[in-house]
Amino acid sequence: MFAYIVRRALYAIPIMLGTTFLLFLLYNFVGGDPALVKAGKHATAETIATIRAEMGLDQPWYLQYWDLLMQVLKFDFGRSWSTNLKITDMVADGAGTSFSLTFPVFVMSTCLSLLLGIFVAVKRGSFIDKGLVTLAVGAQSISVLVYILAGQYFLAYKMGWFPISGYEPGLTERWAYFALPWLIYILIAVAPEMRFYRTIFLDELYQDYVRTAKSKGLDSNTILFKHVLRNALIPILTNLIISLPFLILGSLLLESFFGIPGLGGLIVKAIGNEDRPVIYALTVVGTIAYVIFNLISDILYAVVDPRVQLK
Amino acid sequence: MFFSLPMSINHHIKKTMNFFAVFVLAIAFAGCTGGKSDKGVLKLPMGTDAKTLDPQLVDDLYSFEATSLIYEGLLEYEYLKRPHELKPLLAAELPKVSEDGMKYTFKIKKGVMFQDSEHFPGGKGRELKAQDFVYTFHRVADPKLNSGGFWIFDGKIKGLNEWREANKDKETVDYDKTSEGFKAIDDYTLEINLTTKYPQLMYVLAMSYTLVVPREVVEKLGQDFANNPVGTGPYVLEKWMREAKISYTKNPNYHGTNYPTESEAGDAAELLADSGKKLPFMDRVELLIFIESQPMWLNFMAGNLDRAGIPKDNFSSVIDPATNKLKSEFSEKGVRLTISPSPDVTYTAFNMVDPFIKKAGPKFRQAISLALDEEESIRIFANGRGIPAHTPVPPNIPGYDKDYVNPYQRYDVEAAKKLLAEAGFPGGKGVPELEYEIGKSTDARQSAENTKRKLAAIGINIKINVNQFSELLTKVNERKAQMWGIAWGADYPDAENFLQLLYGPNQTPGPNGANFQNAAYDKLFEQMRFTYDSPERREIINKMKDIFVQEMPWIPGSHRIGYGLEHKWLKNYKPGYMGGNVAKFLRVDEEIRAKGVK
Repeated sequence: MFAYIVRRALYAIPIMLGTTFLLFLLYNFVGGDPALVKAGKHATAETIATIRAEMGLDQPWYLQYWDLLMQVLKFDFGRSWSTNLKITDMVADGAGTSFSLTFPVFVMSTCLSLLLGIFVAVKRGSFIDKGLVTLAVGAQSISVLVYILAGQYFLAYKMGWFPISGYEPGLTERWAYFALPWLIYILIAVAPEMRFYRTIFLDELYQDYVRTAKSKGLDSNTILFKHVLRNALIPILTNLIISLPFLILGSLLLESFFGIPGLGGLIVKAIGNEDRPVIYALTVVGTIAYVIFNLISDILYAVVDPRVQLK
Repeated sequence: MFFSLPMSINHHIKKTMNFFAVFVLAIAFAGCTGGKSDKGVLKLPMGTDAKTLDPQLVDDLYSFEATSLIYEGLLEYEYLKRPHELKPLLAAELPKVSEDGMKYTFKIKKGVMFQDSEHFPGGKGRELKAQDFVYTFHRVADPKLNSGGFWIFDGKIKGLNEWREANKDKETVDYDKTSEGFKAIDDYTLEINLTTKYPQLMYVLAMSYTLVVPREVVEKLGQDFANNPVGTGPYVLEKWMREAKISYTKNPNYHGTNYPTESEAGDAAELLADSGKKLPFMDRVELLIFIESQPMWLNFMAGNLDRAGIPKDNFSSVIDPATNKLKSEFSEKGVRLTISPSPDVTYTAFNMVDPFIKKAGPKFRQAISLALDEEESIRIFANGRGIPAHTPVPPNIPGYDKDYVNPYQRYDVEAAKKLLAEAGFPGGKGVPELEYEIGKSTDARQSAENTKRKLAAIGINIKINVNQFSELLTKVNERKAQMWGIAWGADYPDAENFLQLLYGPNQTPGPNGANFQNAAYDKLFEQMRFTYDSPERREIINKMKDIFVQEMPWIPGSHRIGYGLEHKWLKNYKPGYMGGNVAKFLRVDEEIRAKGVK
């Protein structure tokens, strides 16, 4: 197991090199000159040159890329070109906010989707199954924006049940501002998740071992929760774990519309301002998160299914 | 059914659903009841967050607004007067100007204290001195700081360029040895020595770049100074929650300025209800940042914001197009509409050194102008919030002439075709596909498609290239753009600030992106730039406008008009103020606000 983890960790190196190199190429050979944005509307050639030097853009491309790799290695991306803040602080603050927005609702929507998934799978073909699946397809067909705009207008503005938008950093204060985004998140997330879990459970419910267990006289509760759920865990885990980086990187639309200062908004702003150090840092954070969570997912496969061997 | 549903699932689902219901309701209840009191708090929206709170690094309107509550300069604009006039703020009086106009002597107000801060010894702010201005103004020229504001002093202050040059290669900039241009004669007397006449100096002393900062705090905090501001202004930064909110509390040691006692003829009498009262009125100010317009709009409608702009998508539901007034459902709630022309100009620039544009000549550019319908564009893309621009100079700026007519600022396809033929391109024959560079906003794309359609009608094809802002700037700067859409907002209320956009020596990388070069224009500009507003100056400006119209290096688009809404409880708001510190003049009638929006 240990050797496997080390090997997988080493795979992260070419992944990181590839990701950063592609990003570097994209911004250095396709985009415009960010020094011009920073220099302002009365820029002189001298100011532009000084700013380019300060940004390191006057260096040959391979030295710039080397600097980027060193930053990744030290996990220190310096300061934002746009705000002059330390990027590690910006990422830490944003990730904490995004995580506190997404994690509780992720747990809630997952529990609800799993239960509904089992429920409709067991009720396959019934009116409830058809009704819920139809509802889920309908819910999935509506744009996320519609949920947000309608939620803000009807539930927050018209009914006054929730704050329209806003954020307070205190742990106890922020929840009030999260309630409506959470509700919307659940509405958005549960429909596709429920349908996904329904398919998984249906696959399992018709397996020979379920028929055997039933003919042996095991009660439904034991079959569902001890056998079916366990056997369905691999696709469930995969689905859950690949969603985890999103918990840190945040939800762009929810954060933008509800004024929540997480990483989702930070990414968009950094792209808009061509704040390359921030874009690089967030890409690296995302890449690391995907690599780690994929590794965790593989390890968990072996834990939940002894037939899986990590080599 | 192959499988019967065990009781436990039903139980789990019920339990989970109950949990969600209770959870969401509890949170919602907390949201409705747990909010802070709004009493004494002025709540204003911002379309984007400030980039910095370091005044010498401020380069955008949002940062200017956020910074101007904390910092102050020698001068500020009269809040209620239009056209704008300057008045002393940290200066005790307007400066004495030497006869040759080369020396300005300012007396500094005594007893002005910097805000208390942990970064001062003992945490107590110290008194402002003339030396602070000497430091601040040199900071604008600091070669290590890269302030975007160096242009305000570049070549105009005795010894400053030399000081900048001498410090360029030093490890640390030497502020102990300063230029002759900025001198503290004593603690309360500041002298500014110029290399040339520079009437705009007075305006730049009200800009963000010249807001005064305390040297010891800047030096102690280094790059973190931008996030830990300490000024002399009416408000102290309480918390800056990036991308969400900037909150301020009243500065208890504020030296005090008073609400103006004079306004313009035609102003509502209630604008002078607080005449002479000590500023600021509100205990706290919150600048709330809205990336999207819907939450801003709903918060205004719910009374959570004291004033707001009108989002494009909501415009037709708020303003009656027949009367250009508020619809009754808003006016009945006491919501008031404010309309004010913005000191800006949008335009389509031509790169005058592009081989084809240069060869095509002025008639070609005039024909394009005639083929475009600016009134229609304003109506479709800006809800009518603009007036067609005839020249670069916008309204409310000395030098603007509402009677000046640019004969090519009208929609006349036949005249356009005729001029195009006269230019040597009958029916557009011989005109290559032109590259039209635009920004990436939806409005810019839609407007560009309209331009494409209009030009196709006279036989000219354009290719629209959508750019990130830096890409657009790079193409302009490298002289690779052929024509592009852009806008310019006033740095200060002087026609010079707009006409310099076509001054030959300001070609790229300077602000003359069109690379327009005309000896007569340049000569007139040089005559005009260092003079004060007068009939003679306005005559020179009109001559420059004539050259602009003849040569048409740009197609002027529009001067935008700002539409805003305010609740009945907000007092003293007057639109069109060029200063960033508007919040200090505003007052909320708490009794009316407590009753809410009805």
